[in-house]
Amino acid sequence: MKTLLALGLFALCAQAVADDVLHLYNWNNYISEQTVERFEQQCGCRVVQDYYSDNEEMLAKLAAGATGYDILVPTGNAMESLIRQHALRPLDKTRLPNLKNINPVYLNTPFDPGNRYSVPYAYTLTVLGYNVEKTRELGLPTDTWAIIFEPQYLEKLKGRVTVLDSQRELMAAALKYLGYSANDTDENHWEQASRMIIRAKPYWAAFNASSYIKELTVGNIWVVHGYSNDIFQAGLDAQKAGRKFHVAASIPKEGAVLSLDSMVLHKSGPRPDLALQFIDFMLEGANSAELTNLIGSGNPNQDALRFIKPEIARNQSVFPDQRQLARLEMLRDLDRNQRRVLSRIWTKIKLE
Amino acid sequence: MRRGWGLWAAALGVYAFLYAPLLIVIVYSFNDSRLNAEWVGFTWHWYGVLLHDEDMLQAIGNSLFIAGVSSLAATVLGTMAGIAMHRYGMKVLTFMVLTPVAMPEILLGVSLLLFFIQVLNLTLGFVSIILAHITFSIGFVAVIVRARMAGIEESIFEAARDCGATPWKTFLYITFPLILPGVVSGALMAFTLSIDDFVITFFTAGVGVSTLPLRVYSMIKIAVTPEVNAVSTLLMLLTLTMIVLATRFSPEVLRGKA
Amino acid sequence: MNSKVRSFFSRARLAKLTVSGPPFVFLLLFFLLPGIIMVIASFRYPGEFGGLAPIVSATPETLHGLTLETYRFFFGDAIYARVLFKSFLVALATTLICLALAYPLALLIARSPKKRRDFMVLLVILPFASSFLIRVYAWMILLGPQAALSQALNGVLGALGMAPVHLLFSPFAVLAAMVYVHLPFMVLPLYTNLEKHDPTLLDAAQDCGANAWHRFWRVTFPLSLPGIYSGSALVFIPVLGMFAIPDILGGTGDMLVGNLIKEQFLVTRDWPFGSTLSIMLTLTVLLCVWAAAKLGSTRGHYA
Repeated sequence: MKTLLALGLFALCAQAVADDVLHLYNWNNYISEQTVERFEQQCGCRVVQDYYSDNEEMLAKLAAGATGYDILVPTGNAMESLIRQHALRPLDKTRLPNLKNINPVYLNTPFDPGNRYSVPYAYTLTVLGYNVEKTRELGLPTDTWAIIFEPQYLEKLKGRVTVLDSQRELMAAALKYLGYSANDTDENHWEQASRMIIRAKPYWAAFNASSYIKELTVGNIWVVHGYSNDIFQAGLDAQKAGRKFHVAASIPKEGAVLSLDSMVLHKSGPRPDLALQFIDFMLEGANSAELTNLIGSGNPNQDALRFIKPEIARNQSVFPDQRQLARLEMLRDLDRNQRRVLSRIWTKIKLE
Repeated sequence: MRRGWGLWAAALGVYAFLYAPLLIVIVYSFNDSRLNAEWVGFTWHWYGVLLHDEDMLQAIGNSLFIAGVSSLAATVLGTMAGIAMHRYGMKVLTFMVLTPVAMPEILLGVSLLLFFIQVLNLTLGFVSIILAHITFSIGFVAVIVRARMAGIEESIFEAARDCGATPWKTFLYITFPLILPGVVSGALMAFTLSIDDFVITFFTAGVGVSTLPLRVYSMIKIAVTPEVNAVSTLLMLLTLTMIVLATRFSPEVLRGKA
Repeated sequence: MNSKVRSFFSRARLAKLTVSGPPFVFLLLFFLLPGIIMVIASFRYPGEFGGLAPIVSATPETLHGLTLETYRFFFGDAIYARVLFKSFLVALATTLICLALAYPLALLIARSPKKRRDFMVLLVILPFASSFLIRVYAWMILLGPQAALSQALNGVLGALGMAPVHLLFSPFAVLAAMVYVHLPFMVLPLYTNLEKHDPTLLDAAQDCGANAWHRFWRVTFPLSLPGIYSGSALVFIPVLGMFAIPDILGGTGDMLVGNLIKEQFLVTRDWPFGSTLSIMLTLTVLLCVWAAAKLGSTRGHYA
């Protein structure tokens, strides 16, 4: 009898404790632990985090029935997909007084006109990362995608280049280089881009999702197609390790992909109130800046600028100026037939 | 004898081939360097990191729990299957028991993913992983139990029948004690298989439930540190103990799946 | 008398049902049924946002129903057949190399005194005790650009005036790991078979004047064929569907059918096509098994 009572109480307590939990499904390495701790203190709740390493993984897991997440942090095109699936809760903007901190440039995207569902969180650019000394020594241009696509440059870089192992990203870079939009869905253009990629492939060391950072730091790889925050990290690591070279990033003149990640509420989340509290918390400049200072990600929060370390704020590949912004594009979602065709093209690229 | 020389050398070469990579993993788990490249110095550091890695510890806990539950269920079902296969032939059952063992794991993983989502509308998590693990473990247990059954003299069962024992009594007092080593062995194998499984778990784990192999995989893909070596060494110790115990209980394990 | 027999029968039948029932039902539900679902899925349309489109739909304008579209997509481009063929070649190569490496070991174990045999076999199985991923990871270390092997090799190549090679993320790495992971599966059945050989046969052959090579090739080898076939099956079939090894150790072009399938389910979210690929893989496996069985039966008298 007593044990029954004890078990009952325990269950109740467990339930109570469980209720004050915010479930966050976020990218790997995309929030500072200190920020989370401060929020936990402020709300008197617990934050449980799960991680994904790309949008596709997140979408696939959600499609496979993962539920119970209050907040997701998808990139624009993934968010578009989620909105169209009616998987998100509309935001109660009255609970988000700090929304005014966001730079209007990043609001009202084609994915979510009027920001009914999303609040910008951070952004990254997919750019060129390079070993400054090596590229200078070899006389290579670092302001154009040609350095990873043209054999005349690649010859000097054989085995020293990596590209992202992402169908959309690599295609986007190729399309931009050829002068098309990154969101071009013309199959002929895709074929043209894929032929160019196949021509360049023999010179590339690998298609890498993330370990390219280390290689850049160590000096094995000299040019990468990668994310701005990763390259920023590589630069810092190289400095810390006392390397004799520097790592820098540049936005190629043909343009690049801007990935804006936003916080959204998944409709299966049990605590939308906590979620809104969290979003408003993250909209405070001081909190938002912590991530940027940690990993060098772009920050759409104007209030955050005064908290960001000056060397990062100055970095053009993290905070592009107006001119560069005009050359950036956000990727749109593809429909199922386009996904299938792209998948086939990607298979061919991998296999040739 | 003279004729053995070449054979010995070749065989030892293969043994070396089998063990060298694993020894390197173990050795480098004590290496005082982030990179698994050259030996710098001895340290327990990475084991310390492991002990403080919340996600890893959670994954280890999940793995142990899943392995425990699934190996238990697989042992029960597998023992039944093994007995049935030996006693009654049963082509269909044999096919269903053995095929998951022989076929490429990805097919099982993918079909279970489809099944769980489309038919059962099940949120992937502990339940889905456990069910998946049971499915491929049954075969292992069944084969060992069947081999064990084959080693028992038929006359014993006839004698029991003559004494008027019901099938249940025969099982309880005669069959089960005789096959028990095989059952234990099968349970240990099922446990090991479950802890080590990667491919099938990869497809049937949802978000939120991570197992040790899944965690190691994401570490390998994202940022390799000798922490992976540390956890690998510990895992090796665990499964090594299990397998040695399993073979002690039932040398049938060493005969391979016939 | 009749009722006694009848009751005994039904008791025996009950026993049979009790013993075989639960595993039968479980496997029916979680093995056979998913397989059928997969076959059906290969005939469905992909969902708008991934997954599968419904077979019957309340709103008529959403895509639903069954179609041969995915199969047409599969056969519509030679690339997919190439991937299957490539997987087949990798599986074949792995099997042959495993055979070459396993045979001496199995032979040695079979010919060792009984006491030592179990221990030697245990030594073969023990690496199996480490998780599959660990074994693959070990090769990542071994073949890394800073590891001894790579340095030594590139040193030699450099001395000969040739360009350095990357051992990691290459077909070589994939093959090495495939062999490494599957070697125990070849050793065990081979050894089980070799152990049963009658040593007097070899003595007789020697008396007839056969030298060591002849004794092996004419006596031991043919008798070991069933062991070779079991071992080969245990290596060939899993390798055919493997994806983790090319995924971790492979370079850009080392995509096998397993990787394609994984990609369809977890990246492209094209589940019907993923199912189609899986069906094709299954058919390939069945084809190979059937071909091997045919081959095996023609040499029937040693089976």
